[in-house]
Amino acid sequence: MSYQNLSYGGYPGGAGSGYPGGQQMSGYPGGQPGSGYPGGQPGVGYPGGQSTSGYPGGQSYGGGQPQQMGYGGGAPPGVSPEVQQWFAAVDRDRSGRICASELQAALVNGHGKNFSETACRLMIGMFDHDKSGTIDVQEFQMLYNYINQWLATFRSYDKDGSGNVEEHELSQALHQMGFRFSPQFVKFLIEKSDTQNHKYMSVDQFIVTCVQIQRFTEAFRTRDKEMKGIISISFEDFLGVALSCNI
Amino acid sequence: MSHFQSPMPSREFLWDVFQRVDKDRSGYISTDELQIALSNGTWTPFNPETVRLMIGMFDKQSRGAVNFEDFGALWKYVTDWQNCFRSFDRDNSGNIDRNELKIALSSFGYRLSEHLIDLLVRKYDRSGKGVIYFDDFIQCCIVLYTLTSSFRQYDTDQDGVITIHYEQFLSMVFSLRI
Repeated sequence: MSYQNLSYGGYPGGAGSGYPGGQQMSGYPGGQPGSGYPGGQPGVGYPGGQSTSGYPGGQSYGGGQPQQMGYGGGAPPGVSPEVQQWFAAVDRDRSGRICASELQAALVNGHGKNFSETACRLMIGMFDHDKSGTIDVQEFQMLYNYINQWLATFRSYDKDGSGNVEEHELSQALHQMGFRFSPQFVKFLIEKSDTQNHKYMSVDQFIVTCVQIQRFTEAFRTRDKEMKGIISISFEDFLGVALSCNI
Repeated sequence: MSHFQSPMPSREFLWDVFQRVDKDRSGYISTDELQIALSNGTWTPFNPETVRLMIGMFDKQSRGAVNFEDFGALWKYVTDWQNCFRSFDRDNSGNIDRNELKIALSSFGYRLSEHLIDLLVRKYDRSGKGVIYFDDFIQCCIVLYTLTSSFRQYDTDQDGVITIHYEQFLSMVFSLRI
């Protein structure tokens, strides 16, 4: 096992499993949206080519020009016309805001299934600054970029283009993000996401998993003052962390 | 939950219920079918996470669905939760407020701080009204139970503090759905 990253991350002892090393922020996809993240190509559907499984809006988005859907003329500042169109298509009840269930209806993973409710709540929650459970068009622009970055990342690890990451692909992905996990832990993550066959992880599960790992790692790190990879934690603190970092 | 035990209903009764819930006549009750069959006392859909947790508990064949043999146990489980919920809903409002939740959890043996009770209410109040409905109450209790059991496994000296490695920590807190 290599601990070369640990010199950056400040974990000289290197007990058991390493932390994501390298630069503090950029090693963590999913932290601050858009922070030093492998190049997202906005507007590219996943997985390439199939219009039905594209992002976003697959099924619901018929022929009509979104500009005619009652959103008036030009897009607000900082919002591209393309995003404005997606927003109009996803905002089914035309409330001017998008909630998790509207987002869920618009996002389809590589299995042709809608994203999980968990994934949608997670993503809305990240950009929902007033905690209303919904996002407006400007926040949607950020979410749109964020999702596209994730899709690009996911595609880059889904080497065989199956629409899933398999165990070895996930292992590689986590490794490149700077995490040093044991094979058992990677297996555990796959088993958690594919409860029936224990083989795959879909794109929405991949996003949720990476964001969760990042949150929990931060929580661990703040408690691991001596940076030994070990913490002592009380029952209440444990519950608090688990409940507030879980989606 | 031992005080809330209901008797197991007859096979005939269960078969009748099973057939009504198994809309596509597949011989299995899927998460979608169970979700439609259950009510949380409001017009909103039953919490999908609770449904998934419950199917997961009784799905012996790991198919993501429950057959008739396992259905009896699931049915009884839901009924027991219903009795439990009703007994803590002192004012019969159809939901549990902060104080009722506190009483419920302490009767289960939890000794939690005010801060943690607040956190639970915030997290499981999906309606945004400061109260917890039946489906969210079940989820709350199952999650607490799962987390407590995994903590207890490491707390061999039972002093309420555990010392764990990074990966152990992650495996413990990854108790919920991915």
